[in-house]
Amino acid sequence: MKVIEIKDLHKIYNSTQIKVHAVNGVTLSFNEGEFATIVGPSGSGKTTLLNLLGGLDNPTSGQILVDGTDLSTLKPSALTDFRMRNIGFVFQSYNLIPVLTAKENVEFIMSLQKITAKDREERTFELLKAVGLADRADTRPSKLSGGQQQRIAVARALASKPKFVLADEPTANLDTKSAYVLLDIMEQLNREEKITFIFSTHDPRVVQKAQRVITLEDGRVVSDELKK
Amino acid sequence: MITAIAWKNVWRNRTRSFTVVAAVTIGIFAGVFSMAAINSSILQRIDAAVNEELSHIQVNSKEFRKSSDIQNVISDYPEVEAVLKSTPGVTDVTGRIIVRGMASTATKSTGVEITGVDPEKEKQMFTLSGRLIPGTGSYFEENTKYNTAFIGEKLAKELNIIRYILTDESFGKLEEEGVPAAVLEKLGTLKGERFTSEKKFRKAFGNLLDASENEKYTWKVIEAAWNYREGSRLILSFLDAGNNQTGAAFRISGIFRTNNDMFESTGLFVPVSELRQLTGMGEGTFHRVIARLENDDITNDITKEIRQKLPDYEVMNWKEIQPDLAMIADFMGQIYAVFMIIILAALAFGIVNTMMMSVLERTRELGMLMAVGMNRRRVFIMIMLESVFLSITGGFAGMAVSEVVIAITGKTGINLMKYSEGMEAIGYSAHLFPTIDLKFFISTTILIVLTGIVSSIYPARKALKLNPIEAIRTE
Repeated sequence: MKVIEIKDLHKIYNSTQIKVHAVNGVTLSFNEGEFATIVGPSGSGKTTLLNLLGGLDNPTSGQILVDGTDLSTLKPSALTDFRMRNIGFVFQSYNLIPVLTAKENVEFIMSLQKITAKDREERTFELLKAVGLADRADTRPSKLSGGQQQRIAVARALASKPKFVLADEPTANLDTKSAYVLLDIMEQLNREEKITFIFSTHDPRVVQKAQRVITLEDGRVVSDELKK
Repeated sequence: MITAIAWKNVWRNRTRSFTVVAAVTIGIFAGVFSMAAINSSILQRIDAAVNEELSHIQVNSKEFRKSSDIQNVISDYPEVEAVLKSTPGVTDVTGRIIVRGMASTATKSTGVEITGVDPEKEKQMFTLSGRLIPGTGSYFEENTKYNTAFIGEKLAKELNIIRYILTDESFGKLEEEGVPAAVLEKLGTLKGERFTSEKKFRKAFGNLLDASENEKYTWKVIEAAWNYREGSRLILSFLDAGNNQTGAAFRISGIFRTNNDMFESTGLFVPVSELRQLTGMGEGTFHRVIARLENDDITNDITKEIRQKLPDYEVMNWKEIQPDLAMIADFMGQIYAVFMIIILAALAFGIVNTMMMSVLERTRELGMLMAVGMNRRRVFIMIMLESVFLSITGGFAGMAVSEVVIAITGKTGINLMKYSEGMEAIGYSAHLFPTIDLKFFISTTILIVLTGIVSSIYPARKALKLNPIEAIRTE
């Protein structure tokens, strides 16, 4: 089943002097439960594509359909709401809320969704266990290592059971060991929860784990291969 | 959850938040406390005016206030009294005979307003009898064959009835009060010398002491040398009912001290029976009938009512007799407002500044919150709550400190003895007992919260303008 369909997507940045065609006619689709990476050199349009997929940026032309909903038809407030319900985000620099504990960070989006305290509690515990940090539930992010923070971020992204998770270079700031731990956890959650994961990366460790590798160059898809 | 996050956000930069909270606390305290002090000063003045000098309502013949001719009398006192007493809200009524005259002693004379009062009645209706300076006699309690007068300290000083003498007793008192021996020794040369005015005495001992000693001990020395010989007499002369010059010697029954120099320097009270006899005024005639009410809130209404019932007389309440006082009392509301606007404006700028810093340094975090689905309304509410928490914390701390300090100083009082001369010249006490009413407390608290909300708008709008993609990229 297709979760995301991208049709002839263009994004042109009009800066004062030069026109940058960051995404240039991308057509792609992602199925439920996919574990895909988008790779390519710096400036190839990975992050732009991810921002467009996440509804954080508007395409110049083309369509993004998530479960049949065209993102470009949504008003800003509806789009925010749509992100909250359907998309999980993992950022390169973790971006946890520093004043909240690990547990509260995971709960945060669920509380925005007005999920009851009991259900939140259960789901949070389940996820913290899955990322191996159940014992750090009441710790604030500043007391956690980078790898641990990113695992909390993954738990947060999955908490609201989104249709897909977007991760922009999630391992860029991690050492090898932490990166592998994180990738294993993501892979496992991908399998168990059947949630689509889409990464942008140029980390070979991530590429190695991925089932599908999409390569971008100058805003175009130059290859799209399924492994295994 | 947003509330919890907002509260936690307030305290993430403790130093900054504490600084703002402290500034707000001090600002609110300074404002509220000075309001309380001014308020108390005005309340004391009004209290003195009503309870010592004027009472609530006065009835005169129509011409009396224009020309205080002895003939301008209320001739049917019983009728006026009956009308007043039958008016609900009126608790007490008394009549006074008032004549202008001259008071003289062997060395001095001065113009006075001689008021004949019913001592028993007046003691119930006014608190003036309680203003007697201890050791100067009583409020007409002495049984004597002489005419007696109850006079103000200022008048007594003017007539040289009060003198300044440093006696052995004075030195003993000063020593007890901890005045150093060196100072006492310097003052020793003045021992036994009699000064007829405070000014002369001050000059004499002022030359003996150095500046810092003067600063510290002037009041104590004056107080210790204050001397009054009981049974002193003065001569009062005035016109009688037949417009003939008359007069008599009066023995001073007691001296009172108030905070109002004007009142003290012209006020002279004698029993109405003595004055009636001397002036030859008929029984049941008075110049002024005075009514006391249950409380001051009903003064305006009762005045109207009595004015209708007694159309042939001039009926005035204390606010009309002393419009300056009434104006100041009304003015208080406006002073409150101006004070609060200044304090709250300062508070608002502090909060806006802090919140701006807080928003700008959290750009990335706010961008992330928006990216993961926190909508604009929630972001706005979060920033607003942070401002409100900040202002409320400071505001409440300020109110709490104010309340404690006002409660303490309200009991002990604030002594502004240094300025007493100036303040008492215009009728205000130099000893303040700060008070503030509940209404002021509540309205101030509401205003603080509103200020918090208003000052959150600009920073919150700034936060809303953030673009999540750019904000997340910010390092």
